[in-house]
Order: sequence, then C-alpha cells, then structure tokens
Amino acid sequence: MKSYIWLQTVDGSIQQVEQEIAMFCPMICHEVIQKGMGSSKNYAISLPQQVNPAMLSLILDYCRFHQVPGRSNKERKSFDEKFIRMDTKRLCELTSAADSLQLKPLVDLTSRALARIIEGKAPEEIREIFHLPDDLTEEEKLEPLKNATDDPRIRLLNRLYAKKRKELKEREKLKNVEVDEELVDDRSVDDLLSFINGDDGDSKGIKTSKSKKKNRRRKDLLKSTSAHEATKNHNKESNGLNSVCRSAEVRQILPSVGATTNLQDVEDDIFPNKNEFDDGDIDDEIDPTLKEKIDREVEDFARRLNSDWPERMQEILSLGQEKKPVHLSLNGKGS
Amino acid sequence: MEITRILPEDCLCLIISLTSPADACRSAMVSHAFRSVADCDAVWEKFLPSDYRSIISSSLLSLGKKDVYFHMCFHPILIQNGTMSFQLEKESGKKCYMLGAKALSMIWLLRDTFMPFPWISTSLPGLSDRFPEVANINLVWWIEVKGKIETRNLSPNTNYVIYLVFKLRDRHTIEFKHRTVGLHVNDDRVAPWELRRVLIDPYRCEALYIRDRGDGWMEVEMGQFLNECGDDGTLEFSLRETETSNFHNRGIIIEGIELRPKDN
Repeated sequence: MKSYIWLQTVDGSIQQVEQEIAMFCPMICHEVIQKGMGSSKNYAISLPQQVNPAMLSLILDYCRFHQVPGRSNKERKSFDEKFIRMDTKRLCELTSAADSLQLKPLVDLTSRALARIIEGKAPEEIREIFHLPDDLTEEEKLEPLKNATDDPRIRLLNRLYAKKRKELKEREKLKNVEVDEELVDDRSVDDLLSFINGDDGDSKGIKTSKSKKKNRRRKDLLKSTSAHEATKNHNKESNGLNSVCRSAEVRQILPSVGATTNLQDVEDDIFPNKNEFDDGDIDDEIDPTLKEKIDREVEDFARRLNSDWPERMQEILSLGQEKKPVHLSLNGKGS
Repeated sequence: MEITRILPEDCLCLIISLTSPADACRSAMVSHAFRSVADCDAVWEKFLPSDYRSIISSSLLSLGKKDVYFHMCFHPILIQNGTMSFQLEKESGKKCYMLGAKALSMIWLLRDTFMPFPWISTSLPGLSDRFPEVANINLVWWIEVKGKIETRNLSPNTNYVIYLVFKLRDRHTIEFKHRTVGLHVNDDRVAPWELRRVLIDPYRCEALYIRDRGDGWMEVEMGQFLNECGDDGTLEFSLRETETSNFHNRGIIIEGIELRPKDN
C-alpha cells in the first residue's frame, strides 16, 4: 500500500507524490515529520515560490532516480550528466528551487554546471549569458586594485587608473574653471585611495607636506612645462598613494588641463625621467630587470586600455605571469 | 531575467567558489551585484588552503579573505628557520615552496683539501631577495644537490613541477656546458628512477627545460610529480653530475629548488 504526500505549488495546483520520493527533499521531510502536513489534499504542503510545476517535475525526476538505494556510483554519475543538460536559465531556476527545498546534492550538481559555464569567460560574455546589466560606473571599473601586498605591478596599474580617473575628471571640469571645485573632488579621490591602500592619517599627512615642499621647488618648472611633464616627474614616486597625493597638489597649481590627454601620455609617465630629480623616493626596490619587465607589461596594458577596457586589466592581473606570455585577443577570450 | 534575481546570494557564492581565483576576479568586473558576490569572504575562503590560518601571521587575519589570498600569493613567507619559502600560486591557490640552498643537502668532492665554503650572502647585488644565502658552487669536482619535502605539505590533487633555480656566474663558465647533469624526482613509493640528463647551458638552442624566470634567475625543470592525497610520503629530488672530468666546477649559483603547480 503506497503512501502519498500532497504538495501544492505556488500557482495553486496540487499533486500527490509517492512518499519515498518526496521525502528525499529535506524541506518536505521536515514538513511531514515536524508539522504532520501533506497527508491529504486539504493539508497539502505549500512549496516555496521558487518551485513551480516545471521545476517540481525536474526535482522529482531527480529524487525518483537517486532515492533508489541500489544504484552504483557510475550509474548515478551518468544520470546526473544527462540530467543537467538544459539551458542556463533553467539551470538557475533549478538551483534556486533545489536550494529552497534544501536538496543539497542537486544544488551542488547544478552549481557545478553553472560554474563550468562561467569558467574562462570574459566579463561581457558572462553579462550576455546571464542577462546582467553593465552597471559598474567607469569609476568603479577603474577602482584601484587593493594593494595589500605592495606588488610593484599593482602599484603601477593603480597609477594608470589614477591617471585615467584624473582625465575623466578633467574632461568634466572643462565646464568649471574654479580651482576650488577641483580641490573638493581631489580630496575624495585621495581619501578613497588612501582608505583602500590602508594608509593611516599620519603617513598621509607626512607625504602631503613633503609634496608641498617639492611643489614649491618645482613651481617655476611647472609653469613653463606642460601638465604631463610635471605629472611625469611626480609619478616616479614609489607608491601609488604618494603619486596621487602629489598629482592632487599639482592640480591645484596648474590651470585645467586640456582634453587632449590620452593614454599615450600615460605611457610616457611610466617611463620616468630619472635624471631630473634624485630623491630617495625613486623606486629603487625594484631591480632593473624586473622593472623592465614591469614597464613592458604596463606598456602593453596601456595600449590595451585604449582598445578594450578594465576587464582586460583585471584579467591580465589575475592571469598574467612573468614566466608565461600573456595572450590577449580582442574578442574577449582570456589566455 | 537576471541571474542575480533568480538565485539567492549564497547559491551564487557557491557557484563562483567552484570556479577559480582568476574567474572570480573577472566576475567582479561584470556588474554591481556580481561584484559584491565575487569579492565576498565566502568565496575567497574557499580558494585559500584549508590550513591558511596557521600559516600567515595573525595580523593578516583581520583583512578580507581576498586580500589575504593575494597577500599569500605575492609575499613569500619564510618557514623552517628561513630556509624555505612558501606562497600560493595565484591562479589556482595551490601551495608553492622553494627550498633555499640551506634546506638542500649538498655533497661535493674536492680535489684538494682547500675547501672554499659554498655559501655566499646576498651582499652581492642581484642575488636572492628571498633567502639570505645562496649556494655558490665553486671549485668542486663533483656535486650532488638533494632536497626533499613531505608530500602532506603539498596541495592535494595537484601536478607539481620541480625546478632548480640557478644562475651561471657568467657566460664563459664552460664547465657545465660540456657535462650533463642528471636531474631526478623520486617519491618513496616505488617509482622508477626518472633520470633526466640535461646540459645546463641556457645559451644553446636545445635548452628545452631551461627558462629565464624574469627575476634574474634561471630555472631548469627537474621533473614532475602528481600529488594525489598527499598522505605520508616524502618526495626527493636531486641534481647530480653524471660524468667526471678533469675540469672543476665553477660558477653556478643555486638559489634553491622550487615546487609549483603545473601551468595548464
């Protein structure tokens, strides 16, 4: 004499399912045992809203197969492989439904399938597959990578980002010539960077006072040269925060920069003019061969920044190693 | 229909944690909602080795797990009294070790009783920024360099490649160019002796196994080892001269032997 459990899906329809199959789901099990539900049509267990009739049917297929104790691992694996062959949207809905029923083995199975779909894909491909909006602002895409590690490559990349951010801001500021407004904006960029780079108030204070001294020294030089040259000198500094502080100072002195800045200039900034200023802040912790390698990588990065965007940046950083050539293609596949 | 509307956050966390650190970084560039999942501790804790808390200093434990991960990748930690370094391989999160010269056992034969001590310190420019001492093999007739590591210290289910990290003192050291060295990797479960004979001469075209590391050192592949469960076993690796000659050896500097996961 088979016993049945009554289940009600969110659309109101009710069905009965063999007990051993339904009880394979922990949530249903709980409802039956703890609350005594499901024994008749009137006391049908209300399933969570993620479980529509289509999902329920899939889940019951899964349970029907796996609840049979005698099956070998090979059989189960084979069933699973065929079972998850469905489109991505269904996989997502199924994951959600299985999760709401606390059916962990099925959640793991579908999650692995979705993970395989994500693996190796570029961000815009992931966006396309999962219908996600491209809602990170340009600022956020250029957010300095957290440099808890003081990796010189990250420092240089952060400098590139800072430069690009500066450009964006300057383009906006073509409208406002007020230096005061610039000041306000600079502060928030500095704060953001210093927070992210983990500096405390004291060190920042010391650095800005140092840079103020340098700026007074260089004031004449700055007035006669272009903005880029000045920032070039400033950007030899050994850490990203330093450089931004100093660039911030520079901005106060100079008039708004023209909109012709482009990443070609950024490239120039990264290859500093060592002859001009010989202070202790120069990057002497990076040895020359490594520095060359970094410079080459950054040059590559800068070139690619012009074509495809910060996703490449994150990608390159997360994939690129010195020992292995970095393969990039414009169609968005990683190496 | 957006995935982030269909799936609850902990499911998304699980999915991303089943990918790789590189994929998680790329996912952070997709959208706002995806970023907050891709950067969360639940994901990055899965990429860290299970015993990471006992490895890093306690001051780092206050950082977000993504930061801890990258810190462990880019900052080698010195262990075993400063003779070995440990870090994570950044794409996979697997453990990498380098046994410094002091962690290796070296046997050498000298022609006469004058024994120049093989260790040199890094006061000389361009030497190891990892270890305080490297081995400067100088004036020996025959040398064998050996190292070993317990396999339980390695990441499980990982194919490791073992490299000898060295540099030749200058282009003109002829001795190694004309004699081969045997490089082999052996674990103490019965495994065939895989002796790879190599001419340590990076300037020749057939330098198949030799590469420039980019940090001033070269590396030669000694062999590979698949670590499955990493239960109690020891992996040994050695370099040994297989020919004798009338010339003595001079001019190879060894930083150490590195084990790292194989690139795919």
